Amino acid sequence: MIHRSWKIIGLALLVYVAAMSFIVPLGPGLIDFQRVTTTERLDASPEQDAPFYELIGIGTHWNALNEEQSGQLKCILKHESQLAELPVVSITDDQHAIVKVDLPDTLPSKSWDVFVIHPIDGTLLLENGLFLEDQTIEENYSWTNPSIEQLESTLTFHFPFQPRIFESIRNLMWHVPMWFTMFVLMGIGFVASIKQLSAQNKTFQFDDQALASVQTGIFFGALGLLTGSLWARYTWGAWWVDDPQLNGALITVMVYAGYLVLRASVQNRRQRAQLSAVYNLFAFTILVILLMVLPRFTESLHPGKGGNPGFNTYDLDSTLRWVFYPAVLGWILWGVWMYRLRLQFNRLDEKLKRILH
Amino acid sequence: MLALQKIYHLVQHAIRIEIRNKHGILGLLIFAIAAVYVCYQTTGSSVHSESWNALIWVVLLFAAFNAVSKPWADDSAAMRSVLFHTVSPQHWILARIIYYTLMLCAMGLAVFLGFVIFLGLEPFKSSSPLHFFLGVELTAVALAALLALIQAIASRAGGGFSLISVLGLPLIIPIILISTRFGSDLISGMAFADTAHHLLFLATLTGGFVALGYILFPYLWRD
Repeated sequence: MIHRSWKIIGLALLVYVAAMSFIVPLGPGLIDFQRVTTTERLDASPEQDAPFYELIGIGTHWNALNEEQSGQLKCILKHESQLAELPVVSITDDQHAIVKVDLPDTLPSKSWDVFVIHPIDGTLLLENGLFLEDQTIEENYSWTNPSIEQLESTLTFHFPFQPRIFESIRNLMWHVPMWFTMFVLMGIGFVASIKQLSAQNKTFQFDDQALASVQTGIFFGALGLLTGSLWARYTWGAWWVDDPQLNGALITVMVYAGYLVLRASVQNRRQRAQLSAVYNLFAFTILVILLMVLPRFTESLHPGKGGNPGFNTYDLDSTLRWVFYPAVLGWILWGVWMYRLRLQFNRLDEKLKRILH
Repeated sequence: MLALQKIYHLVQHAIRIEIRNKHGILGLLIFAIAAVYVCYQTTGSSVHSESWNALIWVVLLFAAFNAVSKPWADDSAAMRSVLFHTVSPQHWILARIIYYTLMLCAMGLAVFLGFVIFLGLEPFKSSSPLHFFLGVELTAVALAALLALIQAIASRAGGGFSLISVLGLPLIIPIILISTRFGSDLISGMAFADTAHHLLFLATLTGGFVALGYILFPYLWRD
């Protein structure tokens, strides 16, 4: 029971992660801030010539307030340190509100970030939500800032809302741990290959270990490419993009596939163990260079590297951490379990072949 | 000093063998020139700068693969057992890297001259072709350092040309990516100093490959 406990822990963690990554709701966010024409708004009185804009949120609770709390929905424009509060004219429903954009003719900037502050949802941001065309721009123009307090969301346990990523943030629990698991498995293979070379071919057990770990590692690498490709289609609009991180991932998987080809082309057991151990050391070095060193020196769309909008500093808030860390641990445990099964399978397979021939 | 002398002798030995059978190096040159000529014919006389840049790296890549997959006298079983008792593996791999470097640099020169003669110097309106040539030669050095080890593994496995391609091509992609980026930066009119960091990176990679070969090759040496 004790020596199996880590397998049970791994399985339990993955069940927890699978459940959580689909049950936990996505937090509130802003999708759009767009101009509405007066024909759409019948109650617009003709003397109001300032334009009306519609705020569109997702997962927000603008209508859920009781009487004395109404009027707590605040809409704020921001450019550097300049703030301006916009009057909220009406709240259509939880996700829609009408705002009057009544601004002076001279402004410090054309494009403005839109903030919405609400007691339940907290402070939400739509970057460059408002773009003005008619106003005169004067860089040094400033006005008195209204005093505004930022509110923290009172909603408990939700995944953070990210522009462009939306619900696909759940993929974080599947895509990222695949690569972590692959690193761990390839690391096991690396150590096994060093042992094989220093054992000077007196035993082949380390060669078996290296083979099993690379086989399992390639499986996780392929899953990582697949989940990454799905995510890229959703957030970047293409199944594959030319990007250092993606190139590195694909090349790494191909280099390890070369390991299997190399093994297949050598018949002599001793020679195969030696050659593939040397190649495996080489391949692991390439993996470290391509996936950990190279992307840090080049610009990349991929999160966590270079200049990247939307997902800066991983945006791991506490809720994501509660699911992401167990996911990494669970997948690694499961990967090691799979590696051990593969090792046993390979040994039995070889034994079977020896008996049959 | 002794080590340098030994390496020098090994390189000299390799070059002497190469000169003795003349078809080897001539065949490689014909391959390179023919490949350049095919590029010239398929693109027509007016080639776009970006295509110029892309084609030269692809031709260099295949010329390099062709060069290293040539059968090598040292790989025969009889020759190996002689070398095993007389030469240290570290000297031998360094000698081989140097020899490949010389060979691939010559190929780089041939390919570059071929491109200049047939496809012209159209892309270099605002930058010097000599800087581009420097990039070609550094890429040749990086390819030599990488392919020396790959060739050693593949020849020991007895897989021949197909195994060199399978093992080598994925590893070559990073080198070619860096070189292509360097070339397109230069062609688009960027100053050499602003894009030289690519070359620095290429040199670092080369150093890494040489170190890996130096550390790992002794394990391939003994049987």
